[in-house]
Amino acid sequence: MAATDVTSLGEFEHMVLLAIMRLGDDAYAVPVRDEIARCTGRDVSRGSIYITLDRLETKGYLKSRLADPTPERGGRAKRYYELRPRAVDALKDSRRALVALWRGLETALS
Amino acid sequence: MHDQFPLVLRLFARFIPGDLREPIAGDLHEEYLAMRQRLGAARADRWLWWQSLRLALTFRWERAAHGRPLPPIGDELRGFGSMWDGLRQDIAFGVRMLRRQPGFTAVAIFALALGIGATTAIFSVVDAVLWRPLPYPRADRVMSLGEQRPRESRWFGPIAPADFFDWRRDSHSFSAVAAYTIMSPSGAYNLTGDGEPERVRPLEVTPPFLGVIGVTPALGRDFRAEDETVGRHRVVLLSDALWRRRFGADRSVVGRTVAFDGRTFEIVGVLPARFWWPTRPDVVVPLALDDHDRTLRAAHFLEAVGRLRDGVSPRNAREDLRIIGARLSKDFPAENANHAPNLRPLRDAFVGDVQTMLLVVLGAVAFVLLIACANVATLLLARAAARQKEVSIRTAVGASRARLVQQMMTESLVIAAAGGAAGVLLASWSLSALRTVLPARFAGLPGIDHLGIDVRVLAAAVIVSLVTGLIFGVLPALAASDQRLGVSLNEESRGGTGSVRARRLRSGLVVAELSLSLVLLTGASLLVVSFNNLVNVPPGFEPSQLVIARVNLPGARYAEHARTVAFFDAVAERLAGAPGVQRVGATTSLPFDGPDSRLSLTIERRTAQSPFPVRVHPRLVSTGYFQTMRIPLVRGRGFNDHDAEGSVNVAIINEAAARRYWPNEDPIGQRISIGAEDDWREIVGIAGDTRHEGLDADADPAAYLPQRQRFVSLGNGFERTATLVIRSSGDAAASVAPLIRTAVANVDSQVPIGLVRQMDDLIGESIAPRRLNFVLVSAFAAVALVLTAAGLYGVMSYLVTQRTREIGVRMALGATRRQVLALVLREAGSMTLLGVGLGVAGALVLTRSMTTMLFGVSAANPLVYLSMSVLLAAVALLAIAVPSSRATRVDPLAALRES
Repeated sequence: MAATDVTSLGEFEHMVLLAIMRLGDDAYAVPVRDEIARCTGRDVSRGSIYITLDRLETKGYLKSRLADPTPERGGRAKRYYELRPRAVDALKDSRRALVALWRGLETALS
Repeated sequence: MHDQFPLVLRLFARFIPGDLREPIAGDLHEEYLAMRQRLGAARADRWLWWQSLRLALTFRWERAAHGRPLPPIGDELRGFGSMWDGLRQDIAFGVRMLRRQPGFTAVAIFALALGIGATTAIFSVVDAVLWRPLPYPRADRVMSLGEQRPRESRWFGPIAPADFFDWRRDSHSFSAVAAYTIMSPSGAYNLTGDGEPERVRPLEVTPPFLGVIGVTPALGRDFRAEDETVGRHRVVLLSDALWRRRFGADRSVVGRTVAFDGRTFEIVGVLPARFWWPTRPDVVVPLALDDHDRTLRAAHFLEAVGRLRDGVSPRNAREDLRIIGARLSKDFPAENANHAPNLRPLRDAFVGDVQTMLLVVLGAVAFVLLIACANVATLLLARAAARQKEVSIRTAVGASRARLVQQMMTESLVIAAAGGAAGVLLASWSLSALRTVLPARFAGLPGIDHLGIDVRVLAAAVIVSLVTGLIFGVLPALAASDQRLGVSLNEESRGGTGSVRARRLRSGLVVAELSLSLVLLTGASLLVVSFNNLVNVPPGFEPSQLVIARVNLPGARYAEHARTVAFFDAVAERLAGAPGVQRVGATTSLPFDGPDSRLSLTIERRTAQSPFPVRVHPRLVSTGYFQTMRIPLVRGRGFNDHDAEGSVNVAIINEAAARRYWPNEDPIGQRISIGAEDDWREIVGIAGDTRHEGLDADADPAAYLPQRQRFVSLGNGFERTATLVIRSSGDAAASVAPLIRTAVANVDSQVPIGLVRQMDDLIGESIAPRRLNFVLVSAFAAVALVLTAAGLYGVMSYLVTQRTREIGVRMALGATRRQVLALVLREAGSMTLLGVGLGVAGALVLTRSMTTMLFGVSAANPLVYLSMSVLLAAVALLAIAVPSSRATRVDPLAALRES
């Protein structure tokens, strides 16, 4: 697991982390996907959500826990995710970098 | 349906990593329940299956591409990029491998090109004719109407005018209904006026016709309702082609006049270029029936189309028509008992029995494709064994089985793509060849003008190629990557014959090829036998050296019956003395020149109810007709010049009529009335039966009437359109044509004459579709046979090579050549026997769909099955002759030394 560098955060991974942050305590795969769809208008495949969550956990950006099983899920548990401090750092870094790069460019695009 | 969930889960769970399985299943369940509440169970189920499949594929791919743990690379987009890279590598590697074995590659591509090419060509025909929408807006709402007479097994017969007008008035299911006349192939107008006289094909329709099929004129106006009134009907719409050819696309042509057969018509419009109708009319004119013809209920000569009103289903319309038909049967029992209106989609009316034929040919071609697949699969299997070393090395350095299968499948797809490309080329060549041999009957099929390789056909070819690649690639790829196979192949290198599984697979494929071939061979030979039976059916007259020419006497100058008689007399007289002419006759309905009308028959003093409909085809003939056609007179006398207006009206019936209506008595001397209550004629003779609508159609009851006596039941002027038949002597048929034209022109230069043709050609055209059918299916069967023989040869020579050592040992231990031969033959023989057995069973089931195409032979004819099985076995024997003779010539010492 060599990749601890922030720059290895892909665009989609970035979105997933932000969605988890927005959702707070209620962050499992279904609402994460909904949140991304709601904010970006992108309809993401379920498979890529699961794979990305799994990968971000392996990379050490997320930690997850299994909640108690509920009947409306056929007695199956939810896997909730939350950000580790590294992820918050990485997001901050990337935001800082992006904001700095954007500075002065607003007029160029309008 | 709650219980879908566990099933889906069971199917897909194994693709999902264990620690994710429970939360993912829970998520799916949760969304599935919400979906059910929102969209209903059916859609939710579909959603569930689709999502689960996608998830499974995603994880499957992720694992195949990266394995777990998942590598720390960028996002999914990059993942796709790496997939493409892998694919490109596989393709490049596959191409390299194939180029290294040019022999194998060429054979595989050739076999596939044959299969895919033939499939593509036939698909393009079937697609154009059966599946593409007709060139009319909302064509599915346009119905073809016909009169059904179940007692005569006619389901879509022509309609009597009075019936048509009643249906039109009383039905509520159609926004518009229009009638048109059935035109026999030789019926055409003579266009005179500026420029050379030209024959044009007319389509006579009642005014709303274009509205029914949804066509509006490109120029000028459509017909109006009053255009169907006699006296106002001399208006015409030109086809785009005629307008360009004859009038130089002059837009001011509307309002001008043209003359057809000496009658003047006003041009009211020009049809759009895309207008299409099976008979390819050059001009469309109103069908105007006079008051007498409008009341005809026993004469059937109209066809009709109707556009369904919005919201009316074909079933409703049929019911609506059924009620009208039932009322008409009650009101007019004499003419309409057991008649009923019927309707079907317009395409069915256009395509008719060609549909079965096309589908059988498509089935045949699909078999060829399957055989080609099996063939390539056996080749790949043999090659897989040879590549075992490569597989072992790749496995040793860490390639997963999935990775190996992927690589091999890519190679298969490369072969399939190459075969597909060659196949498309082959298809486009064979389509241009096919276009030139299509029989005349096919000219009226929808889409047949635009046969070719277009996007749809190309898409089909691509799909067929891909599916083919999967079919022939998957088993060999699985077998080759099988580690268990690897173990047994280590043994093989010591002289075995491959694992039992691989060997069974190979034999299974060859058995499949053999049985598919036999099905094709049987189908083809049934068609050949049918065709042979058909051409040997005597038509009831002697067609050779008969020359025919259709004549249309203009109604204006030939209104009197006597003038028509005088015309035909004069022409016959002029021709009789001409060199090369033996005899001359004329008839209103010539055999093999389209359907002829049928009228009710009343037999004098017969009161008993007939168990079947009493009808005859009335045929007006000249005095010399029977002698000219050489139709034998079975009893009584023929017509003579005294059977004229003023003397006793007479008739000659055919044997079919005598058998059916006078089974136990002598018809001669009895009186009949045809299509009328009391138009009595005395039967003076019985003529032999003639085939009329086709060699495969039994003779219907017919009554011949002398041309010199008036007959009005089929409308005024029925006798004015007749066909001259001339028996030429020796091989003078070709030189007779100009004589006929001169003779007619000498009698009346303004009488148009149709194409002069030979009777043999007419009969030839009537069987041309069957000829094409059996030629195509036989060609495919031949290809199948060659492919199968090649497959069998390949497998047997492979087996012999593999068993060289074993054979060597056996011979060293004292086995004779005969015993070695028996060993090899036992193997091939059991495959052949099994293939033949399965093939016979398959053919028995599948040829049942061909019964309507067979003639004089049963679909289960034992002789056909036996001879084809023997043929297949003989070819199989030939295919294994070389490898087995090689087996007997194995030198024991050399074989042992080699190992």
